[in-house]
Amino acid sequence: MTAIDTTTVLPAIDEEVTVSEPDVGFRPGRAGWVGRGLVWALLAWLVLALPVNWFSPFHVGVADIDVLSLAVIYAIGGLSLNVLLGYAGQISLGHQAFVGLGAFASAYVVTNLQLGFWLAVAVAAAFGAAQATVLGAVSLRLTGLYFALVTLAYGTFAEETLFGIAAITGGEGGKPAARPVGFEDGYSYYFLCLGFLAVILWLDRRLTRTKAGRALAALRENPRVAASYGINVKAYTLLAFAVSGMFAGVAGSLMAHHDEVIVGSTFDFQLALLFILMTVVGGLRDRVGVVIGSAFFALLQEKLLVNAVGGVFGSLHLDDFFGLLGELLHVDGIFASGLGIPAEFVGLIVGPILLLLTLTKYPGGIGQQVAPIRLWLTGHRFDRHAGAVTEVEVNDVRA
Amino acid sequence: MSVLEVDSLSIHFGGIKALQDVSLRAGEWEIVGIIGPNGAGKTTLFNCITGFYEPTHGKVRYRGRDISRMPVHQRTALGIGRTFQNVGLVKATTVLENLMTAQHLQVEYDPWLGIAGSPSSFAEERRVRERGDLILDLLNLDAVAHERVADLPYGLLKRVEIAAVLATDPDLLLLDEPGSGMGPEEAHELGDTLLALRKQFGLTIVMIDHHVPLVTRVSDYVYCLNFGEVLAQGNPDVVRSHPEVVRAYMGEDAATEVA
Amino acid sequence: MNVGQLLTELGIAVVTGVLQGSVYALVALGIVLVYRGSGVFNFAQAEFGTVGLFAAYAAVVLWGWSYPAGVAFGLGAALAMGLLTERLVVHPLRNASRVTVLVGTAGVALAAVGVQFWRFNETPIMTMPKIDDGFFVVPVIGAPVTVQQLITVGVLGVVSVGLALFFRSPSGLAIQAAQQEPVASELVGISVRRVSMLTWGIAALLGGIAGILSGPYTTFTAGFLTFGAGRALLPGFMAAVLAGMKSMPGAVLGGLVVGVVEQLGTLTVMSHVPGARAMLLFAFLLGILLLRPQGIFVGRTATA
Repeated sequence: MTAIDTTTVLPAIDEEVTVSEPDVGFRPGRAGWVGRGLVWALLAWLVLALPVNWFSPFHVGVADIDVLSLAVIYAIGGLSLNVLLGYAGQISLGHQAFVGLGAFASAYVVTNLQLGFWLAVAVAAAFGAAQATVLGAVSLRLTGLYFALVTLAYGTFAEETLFGIAAITGGEGGKPAARPVGFEDGYSYYFLCLGFLAVILWLDRRLTRTKAGRALAALRENPRVAASYGINVKAYTLLAFAVSGMFAGVAGSLMAHHDEVIVGSTFDFQLALLFILMTVVGGLRDRVGVVIGSAFFALLQEKLLVNAVGGVFGSLHLDDFFGLLGELLHVDGIFASGLGIPAEFVGLIVGPILLLLTLTKYPGGIGQQVAPIRLWLTGHRFDRHAGAVTEVEVNDVRA
Repeated sequence: MSVLEVDSLSIHFGGIKALQDVSLRAGEWEIVGIIGPNGAGKTTLFNCITGFYEPTHGKVRYRGRDISRMPVHQRTALGIGRTFQNVGLVKATTVLENLMTAQHLQVEYDPWLGIAGSPSSFAEERRVRERGDLILDLLNLDAVAHERVADLPYGLLKRVEIAAVLATDPDLLLLDEPGSGMGPEEAHELGDTLLALRKQFGLTIVMIDHHVPLVTRVSDYVYCLNFGEVLAQGNPDVVRSHPEVVRAYMGEDAATEVA
Repeated sequence: MNVGQLLTELGIAVVTGVLQGSVYALVALGIVLVYRGSGVFNFAQAEFGTVGLFAAYAAVVLWGWSYPAGVAFGLGAALAMGLLTERLVVHPLRNASRVTVLVGTAGVALAAVGVQFWRFNETPIMTMPKIDDGFFVVPVIGAPVTVQQLITVGVLGVVSVGLALFFRSPSGLAIQAAQQEPVASELVGISVRRVSMLTWGIAALLGGIAGILSGPYTTFTAGFLTFGAGRALLPGFMAAVLAGMKSMPGAVLGGLVVGVVEQLGTLTVMSHVPGARAMLLFAFLLGILLLRPQGIFVGRTATA
């Protein structure tokens, strides 16, 4: 249509509509800006400086930095599943296979073909996207529950059959995957992972703010309305698969070179469930929440968080980071003596309980809990109820 | 040439004949009304025209082109826009976001370039947003632009839905009960709106509604469906006073009113 | 590789498959029952079995109870878990989308695995004793069969007949009515809530039976029936899909068929394929879902 004549053709709304108060025009005062700046600086220090012992009273060891890198990699994996589960509303119980394929593709390029790491990441991303698209195309006819079953079977198939092909995956001994030149040590590799996370976050943000993201939001909720808006529902579902597979491929590649030897059994069904935990507890469709959730579970899984809680605060070792706090709060005691749960099992029990609580009581997950702070940090008024989510709608069965 | 031509269309679900040999046409700039009791097959007819159902027999033509087997989204691209009986909007998003989503086919960048963040996608996004705002202004909906659809009352959503379907840039508008939930006065107002929209956008409109006064006032031609068949058709006055229609659809009250 | 050898291997695969399949059939029965009742894909079904197995193991081996008492304890644990799942997860999520509930039941499974890891961390090798240690070789076919496996098949038979009879009894019919017409049933005085508890209770018992019977085949670890050595979750679901998610006899038959299909992966011709069993199951599932999504062993009625 050309040149819309703006003469009003409809009378004004006479119904009682409570229009929510617009936040526009609000500018924080000087003190507000200082406060926000300080928190931003603290966050930047936490992510950029603390892990590599800059301006830090604590000491992060070589083993610890590897765990932190893994947390960043898991965050990419969580964002990958979020595209499929959160945006497109397709559940994947075989996401470990998406990541694993990327890992082996990357290791193969670096070790067998003797090509560079950057090419390997690109190949892993392409490989991840391709296999996800194929799986998506095969199962487009299935929805909801049945699709979940197919992904479950696909994950097992990938773990036992594909990753069992010794010529490509090195069999049970695993496949070496050297770190790229310049990023051999744990600290620089951490920054490499952070860089990739930043890129993925940017892509994810663009996805939600452009036509593809709007199309996914429409087809997730109501495929018929989406189609009548002119959206090709099948094509955009496949696009979600491709993007998710691409992110997963990158995560896999980083994981391979993180471990330096990658083994097929890493990618078992439990990892798939872990990805579900990370995204749902983090808060579907909330990228900040998903990143925090993923990092949380990675640290919990690797015991770092539990150890940190259990150590001594005053000492300058991260292992003992929260120790005094732990003693003060008896957190250590609750876990170890009170319930008799050894540190390494806390994640296994706490995780699922958090998941069930998220589903039944706090549908917005971590994302909703931190939303007020996030909005405040970006210059909005502090509102305790900002970002409230009423229900976790993973997907409605389109039968 | 007619804008829309439905040619002896039949659709069966199992043993049930939902539509039986229905033919209908709408010419350029016409408003065609469809009336009929509940379960007469009116919405089913819309679903065949927009491609949600594939007819068992018969054809649907748009400007002479056979579109009977075309997928829904391609029909939207041709210029067929529709509203739904129970409000076809994305409820979890805001009104403005719905209008932006509805402009899907007019967005000129590739979805992958959008994800990658190409400079042109930013400019285009601004344009899409502005156009959404413009349409909302036009329908006097700018006050609710940033409200979530799920939070708005039903009557208002009917109007939002019309705004959204206008954003798909249609030539042919299929409205499924645009006046549902409205009183006689509001329905009269809606009639004015439809006439104005037709004039402003050069639309051909086919609409289903139960407000007989509304339908007969704005329509150039009216069809009455009953049990999946065309019971009567013609000028609004002819159909309104058709004895079969009076008996089958309007009931005794209406019969006395006409008399 | 000659034909004779292939036939011998096939014979053995079929016998072993049927025996293994009876565990899948038990799991599938529980899945179908829950699906009919709540429209939920219960990913905790196999874990009901593992929990029952762990409890029975603890009672019999660690605490020295008699075998029947241990089995009863194991079944009690499974039952308790089923009822808790219904109360704490399924009921609060009754208005949520079905995939959300699916994620919820997966969470239940994961929580159970966590508890097993934690409680049995210090017991490195766990084996449930067999009910009977005997074993023999089937004449002509040459398939080795343990008495334990025969007992499993027998129990499956008894359970199937028992369920069939139960669903023809008044309470069984009430369950079916409540599943099909919850609102109307509530009006005629059937408590949908009690029916839901009953459904989940029976399903959990079925899981427990499957777990306790299949435990003695090998050593077990946390998550045994979900993703451990005795994994029966995916095969159970496949059997249920074969049964169109609604036919109970179909679930039994489906379980046996899936067991046999999986055993085909042990044939010598498949020896070059790593993870042949997983591959066969994946291909089989895709095949069914794409070609006959409505199921194969659906039967004429969904009554029993």
